[in-house]
Amino acid sequence: MLLPEKTLEAHDVFAGKLTMDDLETLIDFKTGRQKRIIYSDPDIYQLEMEKIFGRCWLFLAHDCQIGNPGDFIRTFMGEDEVLVVRQKDYSVKAFLNTCTHRGNRLCKADHGNKKSFVCNYHGWGFGSDGKLNGVPLEAEAYYNKLDKSKYGLIEVAQLACYKGLIFATFDKSAPSLEDYLGEMKWYLDIWLDAMPEGTELIGTAMKVELPINWKLPVENVSGDGYHLGWAHAGAMTVSSSSKLTDMEVGNTSVDNSAAVSVAGLNGHAVLAALDGKSGYAFYPDPEIAENYLGKNRENVIDRLGEYRGKNMWGSQINLTVFPNLQMLPGLNWFRVYHPKGPGKLEMWTWAMVDKEMPEGLKSMILNNVSRTFGPAGLFDNDDGDNLQAITEQSRGWRTKQMDIYTNMAIGGEHSRKELPGVVSNGLICEQNQRYIYRRWQEMMRANNWSGIPTYNSLEEARATEAG
Amino acid sequence: MNEASVSKEIYLSLQQLLFREARLLSAERYDDWLDLLSDDVQYEMEMPQRRFREDRTQASAPKKTPIFNDDKRSLLMRIGRIKTGFVWAENPVNAIRHIVSNIEVFDSDKADEFTAYSIIEIHRSRLDAERKRFTAGRNDIWKKTASGFQLLKRTVALDDGVVLDSNINFFF
Repeated sequence: MLLPEKTLEAHDVFAGKLTMDDLETLIDFKTGRQKRIIYSDPDIYQLEMEKIFGRCWLFLAHDCQIGNPGDFIRTFMGEDEVLVVRQKDYSVKAFLNTCTHRGNRLCKADHGNKKSFVCNYHGWGFGSDGKLNGVPLEAEAYYNKLDKSKYGLIEVAQLACYKGLIFATFDKSAPSLEDYLGEMKWYLDIWLDAMPEGTELIGTAMKVELPINWKLPVENVSGDGYHLGWAHAGAMTVSSSSKLTDMEVGNTSVDNSAAVSVAGLNGHAVLAALDGKSGYAFYPDPEIAENYLGKNRENVIDRLGEYRGKNMWGSQINLTVFPNLQMLPGLNWFRVYHPKGPGKLEMWTWAMVDKEMPEGLKSMILNNVSRTFGPAGLFDNDDGDNLQAITEQSRGWRTKQMDIYTNMAIGGEHSRKELPGVVSNGLICEQNQRYIYRRWQEMMRANNWSGIPTYNSLEEARATEAG
Repeated sequence: MNEASVSKEIYLSLQQLLFREARLLSAERYDDWLDLLSDDVQYEMEMPQRRFREDRTQASAPKKTPIFNDDKRSLLMRIGRIKTGFVWAENPVNAIRHIVSNIEVFDSDKADEFTAYSIIEIHRSRLDAERKRFTAGRNDIWKKTASGFQLLKRTVALDDGVVLDSNINFFF
């Protein structure tokens, strides 16, 4: 069963308080300006649920998490709770985690294996294919007249897999996942397709609830190399075994020619050092990882070509898939953000590794992901208070009328023949944040997917720029 | 498991030590705390998973994920970070209380090593009216040495399936 057609329009959601004209003023892509109200306004948040989380391709699960028929993961698409279930024929289905009778939550476990899902309220039983199989007292109470085929679990509109990552969308008119990702695939492949066996998530999700608007950690990881040497000065002081683009604690120096910011990829973004090894700069004992890189680099060059194999594989890279998925090869974390209202989110972090990595390296990576970016992570623990404060500072009556800025390195955007997308120099650059907010605005004002532009190069990005 | 009860003297010594340790941690007296830890201390806490009771898919279950999986070197790294003075989240100081209760002490199979169970409740008062609370069970192994008891191993069982603070810049 598919979702019913959406009938809600933007003006209904805004309930007369904000108009589409107001929406135009929230972001200025050219000058790198945002209205603070976008981090606190409940109407804007409701519109984000419809226009962004209701239409984009959202990450559900890694293939490896649901290997066997009946394996399931409970996750979220926006605030909608979703069960992702491996089928008997090894295909994957995803359903709203809700009983179609009286609306109870169907499954309360994070993950596991089930032949069927039985509702705790009245005992309606659904198969792992979503079909309603069992209704207690069907004859006595429904006189055998209940058409069970009409009460199956509600499925997502489209589901697809890209090199191990399972995504879904609630919008049947959304472009294919491959088109949605566009040239971002070229960058994702640096991790997902470097080694023949691909990747796997290890461990369970490290989940943290944060009083933060969902856009703030996304923009931070998408492009904000600027905060590293300052916000994380304490962590960098004690955990760096080598330098990342010659960045110094206290932001006293950096080599911006040693890295790139890449955006203009349908809203997706990349930050990448180009040295082929700095991904392991924040490991206390990087030798095992460096040996692994050395041993496999020729093979990776064969698979990805000279440029990605030499300059990018092994580098510190931040990959952002709009709107809420981020992964950092090298530091090896993989993260999704689930919005929980305008001022709250849940952040789920895993360690991701190449399947071929030796067990010792996998264990080292799991420990290091936890120690750097887990709930007690040396780096992660520096970000929460800053992003929480930005969220809270966007609530004050006078303060929320202010603008804030991502206007660093405007005019530095260029093309490079070896790299798809719009390129700027360095990890310290706010180009990517500007493009994230451009995409946000494009999604928010378009009534359907035909109004959302596609662009994968500077030329295309300029040709599709609004106003 | 050998859970032979210990002498009153041992029990009271370890009880007092756990209370003292809580006071040291609440006061951020980390050098004094480190003196209580064996050089080969193991300090562990894993991310809780919410699974069905009847779930027996052990083989395909996700590997356990640590929140802490520390030895003395990495604990020194954590404490070193706090001591840099660059951890802005801890300035101004966050008031913190470590409350220890339900202490039980047992003899172990090894001479001079004791198992201590306890429950820890941690309260932090952060900015303005913000208050955070953690509860966890602890399973310790303490060794009696010539210079006093030393912590060999602590396994912390956190209760929350979703961690409810944006940092854990403290110890359990």
